[in-house]
Amino acid sequence: MSFLQALMQHSVLQYAMLAAVFASIAGGVVGSYVVIKRLSFISGGIAHSILGGIGFSVWLKNTYSIAWLSPLWGALLAGLISALILGWIHLYYREREDSVIAAIWSVGIALGILFLANTPGPKIELGNYLIGNILWVTPKELWLLLALNVVILTVVAFTYNRLLTLCFDETQAKLQGVAVKGLYLILLMLIATTIVLLIQVVGAILVITMLVVPATIANLFSRFLPTMMAIAVLINIAFSYFGIFFAYHLSWPAGATIALLAGASYVLALLLRSKKLKLRA
Amino acid sequence: MIEVMRLHKVDFKYNDTPILKEISCVIRPGELIHIIGPNGGGKTTLLKLLMGFLEPSSGSIRIMGKPPEKMRKKMAYVPQIFPFDRLFPISVMEVVLSGRLSTLRWHGRYRQEDKEIAIECLKEVDLLEFKDQAMGSLSGGQLQRALIARALATQPQILILDEPTSCIDFKAQLEIDSILKRLKRRMTILMVTHDLDHIGKDSDRVFCVHGKLYELKPEEVCQHFSMGLYQKPTKPSVFEEVMK
Repeated sequence: MSFLQALMQHSVLQYAMLAAVFASIAGGVVGSYVVIKRLSFISGGIAHSILGGIGFSVWLKNTYSIAWLSPLWGALLAGLISALILGWIHLYYREREDSVIAAIWSVGIALGILFLANTPGPKIELGNYLIGNILWVTPKELWLLLALNVVILTVVAFTYNRLLTLCFDETQAKLQGVAVKGLYLILLMLIATTIVLLIQVVGAILVITMLVVPATIANLFSRFLPTMMAIAVLINIAFSYFGIFFAYHLSWPAGATIALLAGASYVLALLLRSKKLKLRA
Repeated sequence: MIEVMRLHKVDFKYNDTPILKEISCVIRPGELIHIIGPNGGGKTTLLKLLMGFLEPSSGSIRIMGKPPEKMRKKMAYVPQIFPFDRLFPISVMEVVLSGRLSTLRWHGRYRQEDKEIAIECLKEVDLLEFKDQAMGSLSGGQLQRALIARALATQPQILILDEPTSCIDFKAQLEIDSILKRLKRRMTILMVTHDLDHIGKDSDRVFCVHGKLYELKPEEVCQHFSMGLYQKPTKPSVFEEVMK
C-alpha cells in the first residue's frame, strides 16, 4: 500500500499529519523569533525540562487514576515554569545564564526518569518521549494542539511589531517605553508552548530540529520576517510530510527521519546560498 | 523653558572604580553640543546616565525637571556601532516605524499617522527610495541615516548620537553633518565624536569627558585632541586639568 493510500485509509496517519501541520505552523512562526533573537540554546533547555513535566503528569495520572490528564498538560506546565526561570536568569543574572540552562536541561531529564521509574503499572520508557512518536496523537490531544496553536498565533499577531523591535534592538524598545522584560518572558513562554506542540512530532531531543532548522533555512532566502515565517512553516510541513513518508516506507522512527531530512536540507540550503552569492559576485 | 538637562555633582562608579566625578552642567533647548574625550573617559557612560540606563552613584540628573527614566520618550538615541546581523529580516521602513513604538495601540498595529511620520523622516535623511529594502542591504552610511530617521520618528526633544560617523566613509559623514545642521535648533543635540572636523561653527559647546567634564568653546578644540594626544589646546588651564 502506498503512503498516500495509507494516509487516506488510516485515521492514525491522518491524526499524525494534522498534528504535524499544527506543530509546523507554530514551529515556523515562533522558530523565526528563536533564530533572529538567537535563543536556540535556551530553547534546548526548555525542551528537555519539559520531560520532568511529562514524567510528573504520567505519574500523577497512573497513581491517582486521573484519566483525563494528558502528558501534554505536564509538558506545558513544566515548559512555562522553566521559561520563566530562564527568563529571570537572563534578565537579572546574565553572567551565569549558560550554567543555569545546562542545570535545568539535566534536572528536567532527571525528574522525568524518576517520575516514570516510580509510576505504577506497565513500565514506561522515557525514550518514548525523548524521541517522540507522532503516531500516538489522539483526537483529544489534537484539539489541545489546535488550541495551543490558536493561542500562539494570536499572541504573535498582537505583539508582532514589539517582538520585532525587541529582537532587532532591545535598547530602542526600552527607550520607547516597551516593557522589555515582560515581552522577553512572553517570547520565552511562546517558545515553551511551541515546544510542547513540536514534542508530539519529534520528541524532546529532536525538537530543536523543527524549531530552528526550517527558520534558519528560510532566513537564508528571505529578507523580511513575514516571508521568513511563511517559508519556515512550509519547510516544516514539507519535512513532516516527507519524514513520515520515508518513515512509513523504511520502517524508521518518524521523529528521527524528520530530523535527518532537516539536517540534510540545511546543508543543501547552505550550498545553494553560497552558489547564489558566488554567481552574484 | 530655559534648560532641558541639568546635572548636579554626578558621580558614577563601576565596582568601586570611579568612572565619572562631579559632573555638573546645564544644557539649554536647541543647543548642539559635541562630546569628545579619550576612550574609556566615560563618554558612553555619560550618555547612559542621561538616558536613565545607569543610575549615578551620587548627585542628580534632571531632564526637563524629571528623572531621566521618566523622560525616555522625549529622547532618541543613535548608537555607536550597531551590532547588526545583515541577515536580520527587517525592512528600512519597519526600522523607522519602530521609532513610533510608544504610540502603538492595544492591537499592536501602527496608525496611518505613524506611517506618514516615518515617511517624512525617511525624506529628511534622503532614504525614501530605500524604504522597502532590507536593512541588511544598506551601506554603512545609509544604515546610520536610517537609524537617525528612526530616532527622528520618535519626535524627540533631545537627540543623542554616539559616534554616528565612525566606520563610515567621508561622503557619508558629510551627509550626516548636513542632516544634523538642518536639525539644529529644532531639538537639543548631543553628539559624541572622535572626529574633530565635525566641531565647526555649528557647534555651540564642546564637552571634553575624561573622568570629569571640561567645557570648551568650539574654537578652543584643536586637532590634536582627535589623536588622543591631548596636547595643549588654546586654553592652557583646560589642558592641564585634562592631563592630570
